[in-house]
Order: sequence, then structure tokens, then C-alpha cells
Amino acid sequence: MIDSLVLGLTHGLLLLTAWRLMNNPALDDESAPPANEAPRSRWGRKRA
Amino acid sequence: MRDLAFIAFLAAIFSLGFRRPFIFVLAYVYIDVVSPQRMSYFLLNAFPISAMAVGFAVLSWLAFDDKKDTRVAPRQGLMLALLAYCYWTTTKADFPIDAAFKWDWVWKALAFAIFLPLTLRTKLRIEALLLFMLLSVATIIISGGVKTALGGGGYGQLKLFVDNNSGLFEGSIISAVAICVIPLILWFTRYGTIFPPDWRVKTFGYALIFACLLMPVGTQARTGLLCIGLLAILMLRDVKRRMVYIGGAAALALVAIPFLPTAFSERMGTIRTYQADASASTRIAVWQWTLDYVKTHPFGGGFEAYRQNEIKYDKVETVGEGASITVVRTPEIDKSRAYHSAYFEMLGEQGWPGLILWLMIHLGGIVRMEVLRRRYWKAPPDQAWISPLATALQHAHMIYLFGATFVGIALNPFVYMLVGAQIGLDTYLARKRAEEGMKPMHKRRDSPAPAAA
Repeated sequence: MIDSLVLGLTHGLLLLTAWRLMNNPALDDESAPPANEAPRSRWGRKRA
Repeated sequence: MRDLAFIAFLAAIFSLGFRRPFIFVLAYVYIDVVSPQRMSYFLLNAFPISAMAVGFAVLSWLAFDDKKDTRVAPRQGLMLALLAYCYWTTTKADFPIDAAFKWDWVWKALAFAIFLPLTLRTKLRIEALLLFMLLSVATIIISGGVKTALGGGGYGQLKLFVDNNSGLFEGSIISAVAICVIPLILWFTRYGTIFPPDWRVKTFGYALIFACLLMPVGTQARTGLLCIGLLAILMLRDVKRRMVYIGGAAALALVAIPFLPTAFSERMGTIRTYQADASASTRIAVWQWTLDYVKTHPFGGGFEAYRQNEIKYDKVETVGEGASITVVRTPEIDKSRAYHSAYFEMLGEQGWPGLILWLMIHLGGIVRMEVLRRRYWKAPPDQAWISPLATALQHAHMIYLFGATFVGIALNPFVYMLVGAQIGLDTYLARKRAEEGMKPMHKRRDSPAPAAA
């Protein structure tokens, strides 16, 4: 029971880490624009 | 059910690896630390998942990764030399079959440590590697910590997923490793970017540190308690109010003692009366045997050379009280006793050249991290993470090497990942300085000396 809960917790966090890394261009190239910068619309406003 | 969950997890990680090949490196780290194939009853242990992960990692690095301005650190050369030397000693080992078995995992650990820094081209990759190492080892530590808190544990009794006492699942090893990762956890609670340090990260980090501190209690490994002592001393280097820290640590220890299991207190008490303890007495006898052995075998006996030892020693106990106290010496004989020390493990198995190479790799890491710690001590805010990370890596390494005095963990893959991370940080910063034409060390000459350096 304890083992299963711990496996679920740490593996969930590992998966979340990998997911965040996949969406972060700085993983491979630090000069790339940051991922959390929201894409701008044609009018220069940040999209929600 | 657990098998299917592991397969789903690995499938997800591997599929992310095809999008971002560096994730294959992280997958290998995870597999090496957690060993999911050993927790599996079917399916997973039929696939060479470790070989698959490292194969994908190397091939994708060769095919896709940017290798512009790739730097190789001297310590990678030293590890290559140690790898070649270990191969040579394996070919002429005293116990060829047993030596070949150990060589089979040692060469992978060293080869991966040589390869790893080549992939650490960005700060995020260094952070990702350390986070994967931490979360992977947290799987074992949290499980052990919770069971200890619920009253489980005992010397050789704490159940850590698998029962075969190998890798990080052995009590003394996980105790030393659990304490050595604490500086890294603290770094993530202040400077992490994958999970920015908000209240959730801090809560998880501090809870994980508590679980780490419980590991020596749960496993009743004396090594872990000694490592906690070193950690407490090392942390003195950077605390602002040292007297408050010392007072707080002492108060915490006093409050904790009544909650510790009696068996733990009794076992820790044997640190002082080590001569009466067979486990400690045989260590000293084996170390003496090793020193005698290398007098005639200066190049070591190859892996597992300890199997030929036959040691005789006196177990010394004091009996009685007051004026009637007597010292009782009981002769004991033991055979094929393991080294129980990384230093003597290297000396006995690889001889003086192997021990010297090994010391150069590890002491070199501590020195290099000290250089980085001081060089970036007064760095601008965007580089404020560097000095604390170098310090955390250095402290982790020092605690590991201290624990290694009493446990045969000279070639444990975990510490070579730590070494790989150190080299990766070092070469990353060298590349950055070359790119920016900036040397913070020169800039800092005008600034006052660091307070705690």
C-alpha cells in the first residue's frame, strides 16, 4: 500500500518533470524564447 | 498491476524522448536508480530497458545534439583511464568469474559518467538531471521514511521494494545517499526553475529531507548518523547566524532523541564501543588484511579480491562494573569478508594505481566545485544559482565520500552521476565564460571577500 502510493507520487512527479521539459525550448537551446511567454496576437496583445 | 503501471510510465517517458532526446538520458538515470525491472514480476524484466535507454540516448546525441564547442574535462579522461585500468585488472583477476560479474556493471557506470557531461549543454539539462536523480532516489527514501515513521525498520529489516540488498536498496548505502542528497534538495527549494520554489515545492522538499533523515533511523546504519554529523558541520559554512544554527540543531537533536527507537540508540552507541562489535571489528581486520595484501600485489587482485581473505581478530568487551571491571578478548575467525570501505575496496581490488586514479577523480570534483563556489560567490542575480549549486554538489560529494569510509561504494553508479553533473556544470560555465568573454573571478577582485568562504 505504502509502496504503491509512493510509486504513484514520485512517478507522477517524474512524468510531470519530463512533460515540463518537453515544453521548454531552453532544454536544448538557451537562446530560444522562453516557453512561458504567451504567444502574441497579430495586434501585439498577449493571448490568454 | 504494478507491472502495467511501470510499462505505461516507461512508454510515456520513452515517447517524450523521441520529442526531446535528452529525456532518454533521464530515462537511463531513472532506470539505473529505481531499477523498475527488479520490482517487476513479468514483462518488464524481459526487456533490456536499461540498454534501450542508454542506446537511444547515445544514438540521439550522436545524430541530433548540438556538439558545437563540446568540452571534455580532465576528470573524464581520468575516468576513461580508470575504466581501461579496471578492464586490465579484470583480465588478470584472482577470481575471474566474480570479477567479470562486477565489471559488467562497473564499466556501464563509468562509461555513462564519461558520456553524461557531453549532453549537459544547458542549465536546464543540469537541473533536469539532478531533479530526476532526486525524484528517483526519493522513491526509495520516501517509502523507507514512511515505514520508519510508522514503526517499521531495524538493522537489515527495513523493506525497500526489493529484498536483494543490491544497488541503492542496501541499508547503509541508502542511508549515506539519503543524507548526501539533502544539500541538493535544499538547492531546489531556493533556485529550481522546472518547479519554481513556491509553498508546494518547499513543503515537498522539507518533507523529503525529513524522510532522508529517517533513513539512518529505519536502517539503523551507523554510517548514516555519521553522515548527518558531517552535513550539520558543512551547513555551518553558509548559515548567516551560526550560533542560532548550532543552538537550533542541538535543541532539535535533544527533542528527537526520546522519539528514536531504543534499538537505534543502542546500535548508535556501538560507534563508541566498536571493538565489542563484530561488524566493526572485522572491518578493521579486513582493512589490515588489505594493506598486507597490496604489499605483495601493488596492482590489486581485481574485482572481488576480498573473497580470498581469512581474518583473525579479537573481539574486545569490558565486563563488570567499578573495581571488578575486566576486559574479555574473544578470538574470532572470518572468511571472505567484504571491504566495508570504498577506499580499501579500491586499494584491494585495483591496487595503488586504481586508488590514486579514484582519489583524483573524486577529490578533483571537490576542488573544482570549491573553485566555482568562490568564482561565482558575488555573481550577478542571473547567476546567483551557480555558487549554491556548486556548494550543494560539493557537499553531497563530501558526505558520500565520508560515508564511503565505512561502506564499499567506490563504484556505485549514483556517485558517478553526481560526478557527471559536476563536470557538466563546470564545462557549461567554461563555455558560457568563453561565449561572453567574461571572467567573474577578475571582476570580483575589487569586491570584498566572501563572508563565509
